[in-house]
Amino acid sequence: MSLASPLALLWLAALIPVVVFYILKIRLRRVPVSTILFWRQIYDEHRPRSIWQRLRHWLSLLAQIVLILLLVGALTDPFFAWETRQLRRIVLIVDNSASMNAADISPSRLAAAKDEALRVIHGMRFRDELAVVVAGGSPRVVCGFSSHGRTLAHAVDDVVPTDNPTRVTEAVELARRLLGERQDEHLREIVVLTDVGQVSNLPGPNAVEESRAGWKPAPRVIIRRFGTNTGNVGITRFQVRRSLIDPLGYEILAEVTNASNEPVECRLEIDLNEDVVDVVPLKLTPGQRWSQTFEKTSADGGHLLAKLDRADALAADNRAWAVLPKRELMPVTLVSEGNLFLQKVFESNPLVVLTRVEPAAWKPTSEPSVGITVLHHHVPEKLPAGSLLVIDPRGGCDLWQLGEPVQNPIVNQQDKDSPLLSHVRLDNVVMPEARQVKVASDEGVKVLARSLAGDPLLATIERPGQKVLLLTVNLDEGDLPLRTAFPILMMNALNWFTENRGELRESLPTGAITEIDVAVLNGSRGLSGTALAAGVPAVPAASAGPLTSSQIRLIAPDGRRSALPIQSERLSLGPFYQCGVWSVVAAEDDTTLLELACNLADRNESDVRVPKSEEATQTSVVSASVLGNQPVWFWLIASAWLLMAIEWWAYQRRVIE
Amino acid sequence: MPLFDSDFLKKLEYLSLVSRRLFRGSLLAQRRTMQTGGGIEFADHREYSHGDDFRHLDWNVFARHGQLLLKRFQEEEDLHVYLLLDCSRSMAFGSPPKFDLARQIVAALAYIALSDLDRVAVIAFADDIVADFPLTRGKDRILSLLKFLDGLEVQGEATDLGRVVKAFTQRPQRRGLAIVVSDLFDPNGYERGFDQLRYRNYELHAVQLHDRLEAEPSLLGELELVDIESDGGQKVTITENALKKYRILFEDFQESLRKYGRKYGVGLTQTRCEVPFDELILKMMRASGAVR
Repeated sequence: MSLASPLALLWLAALIPVVVFYILKIRLRRVPVSTILFWRQIYDEHRPRSIWQRLRHWLSLLAQIVLILLLVGALTDPFFAWETRQLRRIVLIVDNSASMNAADISPSRLAAAKDEALRVIHGMRFRDELAVVVAGGSPRVVCGFSSHGRTLAHAVDDVVPTDNPTRVTEAVELARRLLGERQDEHLREIVVLTDVGQVSNLPGPNAVEESRAGWKPAPRVIIRRFGTNTGNVGITRFQVRRSLIDPLGYEILAEVTNASNEPVECRLEIDLNEDVVDVVPLKLTPGQRWSQTFEKTSADGGHLLAKLDRADALAADNRAWAVLPKRELMPVTLVSEGNLFLQKVFESNPLVVLTRVEPAAWKPTSEPSVGITVLHHHVPEKLPAGSLLVIDPRGGCDLWQLGEPVQNPIVNQQDKDSPLLSHVRLDNVVMPEARQVKVASDEGVKVLARSLAGDPLLATIERPGQKVLLLTVNLDEGDLPLRTAFPILMMNALNWFTENRGELRESLPTGAITEIDVAVLNGSRGLSGTALAAGVPAVPAASAGPLTSSQIRLIAPDGRRSALPIQSERLSLGPFYQCGVWSVVAAEDDTTLLELACNLADRNESDVRVPKSEEATQTSVVSASVLGNQPVWFWLIASAWLLMAIEWWAYQRRVIE
Repeated sequence: MPLFDSDFLKKLEYLSLVSRRLFRGSLLAQRRTMQTGGGIEFADHREYSHGDDFRHLDWNVFARHGQLLLKRFQEEEDLHVYLLLDCSRSMAFGSPPKFDLARQIVAALAYIALSDLDRVAVIAFADDIVADFPLTRGKDRILSLLKFLDGLEVQGEATDLGRVVKAFTQRPQRRGLAIVVSDLFDPNGYERGFDQLRYRNYELHAVQLHDRLEAEPSLLGELELVDIESDGGQKVTITENALKKYRILFEDFQESLRKYGRKYGVGLTQTRCEVPFDELILKMMRASGAVR
């Protein structure tokens, strides 16, 4: 046995005054009495206990000495050598993924796992250290290594159910890294409380040899599975997108998987804003995956909800959401002497309200124009505020100087990441002529397509209160208007001007993290209410100012609000731990700025079956406790307390007389 | 402060007056002996026998019935009062000391007896008779008696009432009233002495004194108890339980005294030493046990 605090042995000096005072004490006070007749009668009755009476003084002294020895022993914090040799360091992985919400065992698999986690914590020996990691979504350490049972128990209690996918494998890897940070010789264990059938990165067969070769032995992984072989039917995909053909149309992709061993009959209902869009009866064979694309038409936006009418163990995948943004009409003013391609490309878009104006009749104003102004050839000396699409300019302005014509420009560089060039390829387009422009200032200028000579062919210029898309290609020459890239480019341009408010945003899987452009939120904020209804394009408002973290909130489907840190132009959202529609709202009036649908959409999570063989191996991982999981000093203190209690009892009951 | 001051003497006089007023005819010297003789009160007749004094013949009976009957008279004699005062060292215990009260009681009883023309003797004892005030008569002797009492001190070893009574009864003296004033803490038992007095036809009365701390001691803890009579010690650990047993034993002792008194017709007065002696004497008078 070793002592953690040997200096505490100095307290043994307390024995000296005890013994001294005890010796002084037994010199009894002499008290004269008129007679000791009666006292003798009393004490003569106890003659049979005279040995005890002789010993009682020594026993009393011995009790005091033992009491001091126990207390000093506790202060020295003794421990056995085997305690350090058998010290364990455990990482407890609690899977709080969606499948752990299955109610096949009451009340849920997660609740059972948490109960088991508490048992593991209560089964810890003194000096054992344990960390808690959750494996629903990105693995996260919710409590670092600690020996304090109450802290660990609180950490386990605070593990909330999520709809995130299981990341047990990553969690085991994280646990290994946690254990690998410690360079001591403690026994290392990873206890996984999950319903996953297989964990891929368990220690390999060479672990023992590696250990013999002097490597650090791999931590032992103990997997405790929760759940039964229950079946489940779930929506494993649900996406919606606007039709590439029809600006008002949209397409729904739905997939339903029968993750059970029995055939299932059910019904899939799809609602848009609580109006039934479609109902599909399904007959699914065991393990069958059914999917179908629905084409619908509606300019209205809203929430699409897919529902399965079958109650099963897992509720999270019986519903799926998608957000269908509303299609808004866009007023477009075409200032052109006449270009049929240009006119038709806008007229063909049912969302565009086109107004054609002759250049002579067009008067630029200092106020931002409503909608999008398309300037073909004609460029005023000073470009007005607002959204401007300038095509083949024939003159300079305050933003650029017009150079010499460029013959047969070939697109050499194209910004593939730009939404303006999404689904557009310009490198194979024959463009006999373009215009060389020299931008007055590089501020806010972004060249999206450049010729071999480096001349910009397509560029955006963003200034406060002004968005300009400049296309220097001559449409009258070449085959760009004849290419499918042209209407797509124009559609992208319209979406860019409107900050993609009409673009679809795909439904996200739970646990995902996404990024959005802060400008999107800014545009939504500036065009809230009536302005949005009027179809005013999103032009950054100079007066609105940049968004700050205090101005927006993220609201979860369950109503929980959280702040959003804005540190750059991109805003990171997520991870989304719950299925449903998440909203980014203005903090001051709860105006919705952005909505995101989040679905489980994970076939592995929907398959909640735990094989029979895995069920059979369910044994408690709680280890046998040593010394009642308490340190030696605890028992010394307890013994001292017991000794005092006995002495107090003996004193009160006058056992020693 | 002197034990027998002027106030004390006044109280004695008061007690004497009270005793005469309340108990006239039944106190000490006015009591009649059962011996017949030359008294003046007729007792009964008996047959004349040869040699009887003719003067005691009842001639009236002879005239009427022709029988020679002799008149007998109850002889009136003075009472001998023996006051046995315990002077053992245990009598020095108490607050005030039991010995002071004991001497005051003895003085008071002696004064009353002397006032009633009885004869009084005081025998001071401890383990043996340590001092003696011989039999005396007359109220004028009270001062010398008080002086005798004042000069007494606690002394001797453990009380031995049996030995004292044996020595006392072997004296050539008349029987009479024996009043023992003591705490009766006799290691050999008070019964031996009392029994001898009874066997010798003394009329016995006991005045037992004790202190409050003797009845209800407040000792606790590890102590060495020292008997102030024998200097013998006993190391004890006194607990509440032991105190409880002590009180029971002491009460048993008191009860045994009362039982003894009831059984053998012995007058008994038990008192604590805080009680003033005059109150105690009055109480005794009212009880009519100590003095008749």
